[in-house]
Parts: sequence; C-alpha cells; structure tokens
Amino acid sequence: MTCEEFERVLPEIEGAHSAEQESHLHSCSVCSELVDDLNAIALQARLLRDSENEEPAPGIWNSIEIALRQEGLIRDLTSAPYLVPARPRPRRLAWLIPAGALLLLTFGLVQHERPRSELTPQVPIASTNPEPTDAANSDDQQLLEVVSARSPAMRASYAASLRDVNSYIRDAEQSVKTDPNDVQAQQYLMSAYEQKSMLYQIALDRPLQQQ
Amino acid sequence: MTDARKSQAKKLSESELIERAKQGDAEAFEALYHLHKRRVYSLCLRMTANTAAAEDLTQEAFLQLFRKIATFRGESAFSTWLHRMAVNVVLMQLRKKGLPVVPLEDTIDTEEEAPKKELGALDPSLAGSIDRLQLLRAVEDLPPGYRSIFVLHDVEGYEHNEIAEIVGCSVGNSKSQLHKARLKLRELLKTSRAEKARKP
Repeated sequence: MTCEEFERVLPEIEGAHSAEQESHLHSCSVCSELVDDLNAIALQARLLRDSENEEPAPGIWNSIEIALRQEGLIRDLTSAPYLVPARPRPRRLAWLIPAGALLLLTFGLVQHERPRSELTPQVPIASTNPEPTDAANSDDQQLLEVVSARSPAMRASYAASLRDVNSYIRDAEQSVKTDPNDVQAQQYLMSAYEQKSMLYQIALDRPLQQQ
Repeated sequence: MTDARKSQAKKLSESELIERAKQGDAEAFEALYHLHKRRVYSLCLRMTANTAAAEDLTQEAFLQLFRKIATFRGESAFSTWLHRMAVNVVLMQLRKKGLPVVPLEDTIDTEEEAPKKELGALDPSLAGSIDRLQLLRAVEDLPPGYRSIFVLHDVEGYEHNEIAEIVGCSVGNSKSQLHKARLKLRELLKTSRAEKARKP
C-alpha cells in the first residue's frame, strides 16, 4: 500500500485499521505521524465537550423571560389581577361592559374567558402625561362611583389601579403612534386595553357593599 | 429567582421541571435554562466562533425549545432534544448568512483554506502536546464549513449519519470534510507552534 492509497482511505477509517493499513503504518513514519496527530486532535476535541465552562451573559435569561411572558407562555399565578380595559366610550354605565367588549373584539382580543394571570403587564411604563382623556376620565369616574357605592374601602385601590393602567395605555398608544409597525408596541397596547376591561368587569361584578 | 427558590428548583427532577414548564411555571423555565445553558452556549460558540452570535443563538434556541415544550413527550432525552434544536438554529443562521454549512466535495476550498498535506519534515508530532486553548483558537480559525462538521462530530459526538441528516449532505461528504477539517487543524496547530518557537 502506498502513502497515496492510504491517505485516500483514511477519511473512511473509523476505529481499527486493516492488516494492510497497519502494515503501511508500521513502515511509514509520515503516515504514522499523520494518524497520531489526527487522533490527538480528535481526542482533545472530545475533551472540549467535557470541559464546557463558558457561560452566556446573565442578561440572556432576562431576554428569554420577557419574550416568554409576552407570548403568554409564562403564567404568573401569584400576580394580582391588574386589569386594563378597552377604552370604554359610552357615557351611560350600563354600556361600559358591552362597549369594552366591542372594542376588544375590534382588536381581536379574547376577553374575560382568558385567565387574569395572563393579562398582567410585564413591562411597567412610566408616563409623563398623567391626564386621561375627558371621555375615559368620565367613565372612570362613573366606575369609581359604582365602586364607592358597593365597597367604599376599595375606591382608593381602584383609583390607583385606574391611574396606572391609563398611564400604561397612553404610553403604549404613543409607542404605536410613533411606529405603527412595531409589533411589540401593538401587543403592549392590546394587553393594556384588555387589562382595563378586566378591571372594569371585576369592579362591576363585585357583590353589593360589604359590611 | 431567589436563592431559596433556586435551591428548591434544583431538588425537582428534570421531568418535574418540564411538566411545570408546560403549565407556564416561570421558575421551571428558568431552572431548565440554567441546567442546560452552558452546553447550548458552548455549542453555539464553537460553531460560530463569535461571542455575540453565540449569545443570540443561545437565546433563540431556548425560545424555540420553550415554545415547543408542550409537544415534548419524553421519547428522547430532553438534553438531546434541546441540543438538536440548538444545532438546527445555528445551521439555519449560517445558511442565512450565506456561509457554507458543509463545503461541497472537491469544490469551494480556496488555496488558503485547503489543508496542506505536506508539512515540514522536521515538525514534531502533535500527540501529547495539544492543549485546550490552542485547539479552541485553531477551531475558531477554521473555515465555517469545516468548523461545523468538526464541532458536530469530534466535539459534540454526532455520528456521520446524523450529521448528514442534519446538514443535508451525504455520509461520505461528512467523512471527507471531517478529515479535511482535522488536516487543517493539524496545519494550524503546527504553524502556531512553530511561530511560538521562533519568538524570543
């Protein structure tokens, strides 16, 4: 067997050599050294896997978690039912829920069948403009009056929730306005509307005033 | 995740973590990530030789895994499933960039890339003298196509028939390219050693 013949079959050799190949290796130091070198490389390569100690940057998990939460794959069962509605348009209280439902349907959202835990906004956004629109403000005021009538102790809590969720809506709306093609901003906005809708539903579904 | 919860998560078996992750448990997802992140990241790093790319691909591999975790039935080991997904993510990225995943037989090799079979007659053997760092650097210098095959076979332990299926080549091509990758590494390691020896 010549060196050329040996090198031609070398890629196919896995494990033991044939008698002819062994014979050539015994008689040819160049091919013998080549085989030794290639085996040493393969052996060291296998040790690389066993000594894996490189770690990705700590922020990688944070990015993964955010994405999973946005996609609804993480369901945070301990979070409070912090809910945002679609922006209710009608002035009369009786129209609040169906109006919210109509708006949610318009945006293709699933309403109250969705678990509350899926609607928690994961990215709190600070707003620089605390003032709601007149229509929304009026509806929110009506809601707070209902809550006061039913459960006065809860008014402050609902008022705080409404302030925060309205701020969230405004920020999300601004983001969408800035870049209408921003899918993430659209998702935030949808989530914001949905949460406000659920907040309204919870408030209006509450039992009569507790003693 | 707090230390107490990390400790609790560790006590759960991997199969329990998987079941919890299927229910949307955030801590289960995180525990699974920490269990497997090094293996996935190392694979991505070796195949791309680029830290930033490896981190992006690690993130993408885990996202794809977690999106599909509901479909995991346990027929194969979870780590195997994850590993295969990471390999596919990396190869897809290489293809997107137009980089050769596997060089075609007898083509593409430029004069610079082709391994030289004839090295200096006085070059000492590499056996017993390759260290981990030298090899890592040499692997980084391999052309992408050679690097993929070498990492998959010699580092990660995939068989040629598996590599052929993953990258879409023949078993013969996989063997041939692995051989060329090893020859190229041999050349790089010997050159590096010779340069070191020349330095005062």
